[in-house]
Amino acid sequence: MAYDLQLKNVGKVYDNGTPAVIDFNLDVEKGEFIAFLGPSGCGKSTTLRMISGFESVTTGDLLIRGQRVNDQPPEKRPTSMIFQNYALFPHMNVRQNVRFGLEVKGLPRDEADRKVDGILDKLGLLDISEMPTGRLSGGQRQRIALARSLVVEPDILLLDEPLGALDANLRKSIQNELKLLQRELGITFVFVTHAQSEALALSDRIIVMNAGRIEQISPPRELYTRPQSAFVARFIGSNTIIPGTVVTTAGQTITLDTPFGAISGTNRIDIAHTKGERMSIVLPAEAVELIPGETDESELRGRFGSNVIPCKIERLQVIGHIMQMLVRLENGDTINTEGHVDKYRGRLTVGAPAYVAWLPGGATMIA
Amino acid sequence: MDSKLLKPVLAVYVAAFILFLYGPFIVLGILSFQQGPEGGPQFPIIEWSTYWYRHLFGLTPPSRIAPLPVGEALLRSLTLAFMTMVTATVLGVMAAQAFRRRFKGAGIVFYLIVLGMMVPGVLTGLGTSLLANNVVGVERHWWTTAFVAHVVYTFPFAFLVMLAILNRFDGSVEEAAWSLGVSPARTFRKVTFPLIFPGVLSAMLFAFTLSFDEFPRTLFASGRDQTLPLAIYGTFSVEIHPNIFAFGVMTTLFSFSLLAIYGILMGLSVRRAKKIAMQEDIS
Repeated sequence: MAYDLQLKNVGKVYDNGTPAVIDFNLDVEKGEFIAFLGPSGCGKSTTLRMISGFESVTTGDLLIRGQRVNDQPPEKRPTSMIFQNYALFPHMNVRQNVRFGLEVKGLPRDEADRKVDGILDKLGLLDISEMPTGRLSGGQRQRIALARSLVVEPDILLLDEPLGALDANLRKSIQNELKLLQRELGITFVFVTHAQSEALALSDRIIVMNAGRIEQISPPRELYTRPQSAFVARFIGSNTIIPGTVVTTAGQTITLDTPFGAISGTNRIDIAHTKGERMSIVLPAEAVELIPGETDESELRGRFGSNVIPCKIERLQVIGHIMQMLVRLENGDTINTEGHVDKYRGRLTVGAPAYVAWLPGGATMIA
Repeated sequence: MDSKLLKPVLAVYVAAFILFLYGPFIVLGILSFQQGPEGGPQFPIIEWSTYWYRHLFGLTPPSRIAPLPVGEALLRSLTLAFMTMVTATVLGVMAAQAFRRRFKGAGIVFYLIVLGMMVPGVLTGLGTSLLANNVVGVERHWWTTAFVAHVVYTFPFAFLVMLAILNRFDGSVEEAAWSLGVSPARTFRKVTFPLIFPGVLSAMLFAFTLSFDEFPRTLFASGRDQTLPLAIYGTFSVEIHPNIFAFGVMTTLFSFSLLAIYGILMGLSVRRAKKIAMQEDIS
């Protein structure tokens, strides 16, 4: 299998000795939409800038379409980058901006014109093509940046927080456009973001980074439901982490001994765990059910096994159709949980006793 | 401080400042209209006339007062200032461009460059001519040693102006161009340079005006053909007539017209810069 982009043990150490990226391994297939997700300073932008050629690679190999490009300058690489501030050329109008990259390609004039018109049309920019870029809206400027990068037909489009400067509504609509465009063109997209919603909505695979290292590479759904580390569990979604020691392993299900008794979740990593080992259980907010205190506990135990913990409701908050609930356990810990409003409306009171419960399949074990 | 007191104090200060700034020029301007050829360089004005202006251009009947020997000196100074301006600005832009990346010894190089405007001019002039005569074996001329001394003097100014401009310059537009496959050289020509052009204009203005009326460095370094400031100084040592004042008025007007050209060019660039600023506001 030929990959569009490969990073083999790629590392970056800055001149002052600070490591920015450590042992980064990734194979990207043609047409994949990849997101680098992580908190600021995790090395995601640095990795992107290494792919684009703006930063040198300290160790390892960077391959584009099977060719090692470590020593190629940015203008020689078949990549094109979209910047967070769009970096449009302020002294050129829309058309000149888009045409700029084609001017050095040695195309016949009319062919270049055709390409520019084609991409302007595709992105709905024909009407404003003769306008200076200064007075255009964020969304329009975003599209100009896209058109400018796509018209040179890169193998890989690199996007550095391209939606960060847009307001929430615009972000959603551009997100959709971006996804459609990527499907249609079949170009590999590598997208850097610190917003999990963008990564989850857009990408085929998400690379979660932390402190220069890859924490997890997973498709969005899997990343969301099956975090592999405490970092990912804290960073993605709204999870509660409860530590304990392994009591039993039964197939995919591991039972831990915790201050709340024996509770269980799914062992995703498929490594046998020995009794007495320290592990944690990750409870996603939407996998935890909140049940009013007057319910019969033995009936609950019938449904959820041992995964029932008594608690007190601390806060209820309705956001649109989602009810967000915060409960406090007997030992003072809190658990976040959420669910559809219809399910909970009118059944819960703040300050009342209740139970939290979950099915083992909904919770994930992490080392 | 009490603002009731502060305001008058500041007003007096500003008035004094303006008086000292423009006072000499105004006195010069008035005296340049002294009657000629008998009228001297002092008050009172015997009778208003444009005699000394005509004298300057050789339009008066010959008299005992020789015309100012400034024609060639003026041409020399203009040429020298132009050469200096081009060289210093090119060097300034390149040096400032180099300083965008941290390199080893950047601090030392910075101070070495800036030293050019700090060291006493007479020393630079003397040193340059000694170096040229005794070590390099180059004859002293306004276009050799004086030119070098002028560039050394004006280069730091151009450099500092460009450094300030490039400091605020957003490098991502350059990266965007590179990533589109445009070579760094073409990117500089088509993207960077048009955007830093207002700064380049300022650097040019600095270099030109500083070189045009440079005295101490040129005094030793210019050799036998004098530049304008030296030629004017030379006439002082004999006897002062109001023709000097008329000439002063003319050169000042020339400087103002330079400033006006600069202002117009700057206005054009600033209008563009405003667009950029607006763009940044939105993003």
